[in-house]
Amino acid sequence: MEDETSHENVTQGHNKGSPDSPCAKTGGTGNNKEQDRFLPIANVGRIMKKVIPSNGKISKDSKETVQECVSEFISFVTGEASDKCQREKRKTINGDDIIWAITTLGFEEYVGPLKLYLSKYREIEGEKLNIPKQQRSEQKQQHQLQQQSKHEQNIPNFNSSVYSSTSLLSRHSSFVPSDQPFSLPFSPNNIQKQLQQQQDQIDSVGYW
Amino acid sequence: MRQAGTYSGILSGGISGKTGPHLLPLARIKKIMKKSGEAVKMISGESPIVFSKACELFIKELTQRSWMVTMQSKRRTLNKEDVASAVMATDLFDFLVNLVSESPLEMDTSKYS
Repeated sequence: MEDETSHENVTQGHNKGSPDSPCAKTGGTGNNKEQDRFLPIANVGRIMKKVIPSNGKISKDSKETVQECVSEFISFVTGEASDKCQREKRKTINGDDIIWAITTLGFEEYVGPLKLYLSKYREIEGEKLNIPKQQRSEQKQQHQLQQQSKHEQNIPNFNSSVYSSTSLLSRHSSFVPSDQPFSLPFSPNNIQKQLQQQQDQIDSVGYW
Repeated sequence: MRQAGTYSGILSGGISGKTGPHLLPLARIKKIMKKSGEAVKMISGESPIVFSKACELFIKELTQRSWMVTMQSKRRTLNKEDVASAVMATDLFDFLVNLVSESPLEMDTSKYS
């Protein structure tokens, strides 16, 4: 009977876990909502299921424990990466810093897959940086054209999205991406706002 | 709004083949990163993405090790003690030792109350 209350105890364990976290840099104490401190338990559980046999089961409290461990892992690695950035007088933690920290803390075997992952991501995002500013104003207009096609396709295809002007021109030949944005149905202000949001979301893509 | 859709497309695996589906929410990862210290202010866009993959690998490793403990006990349900045992048995998971040993203490206290 006592064992059945273990779920409640684990919940308490969640709340009391943070101030005693070995990662001394944790600033938050009691004012954090639980959800913010952890990754969603459904996602965690899904990943866990992948590595056990199909007839295996996972208790809820073990998922919660793994949840806590992952958050601790993130804090641990981020702390190291942050220290490195401070030493090198850089303000932004980038992917390489994370990989370096992961290696330093002993998780070398993760590095291979991570580097591959990161290089693929950079390949996509890097296209944005190769474009000089002048062309960007044209592409702002083209981008809202792309939005129509995206609605249909529902695929956020980075590689051909905003920055391949030829495909857009051939598709929407009636629209001329000239110097007169006001001839187009969409307001350029929206586009600028959206692009701004994108930059804010991606949080300084330009910081390479 | 459209950019949000584009970005969260990564979350649901919208980008086919290029980066692969992200199993973990990037915004949440970023929040947790920021909570790790006062000095953490600027985070590049790629950091949560790297973490998304790293956390996946971490969860998998932790789960695999825990499952080995479960099997040794001839059970089919992975429970919290198995995770704790795996942490104790692995040097790499030293930073988690305090975390997994806290809760059992809580449990014991309530058992005796």
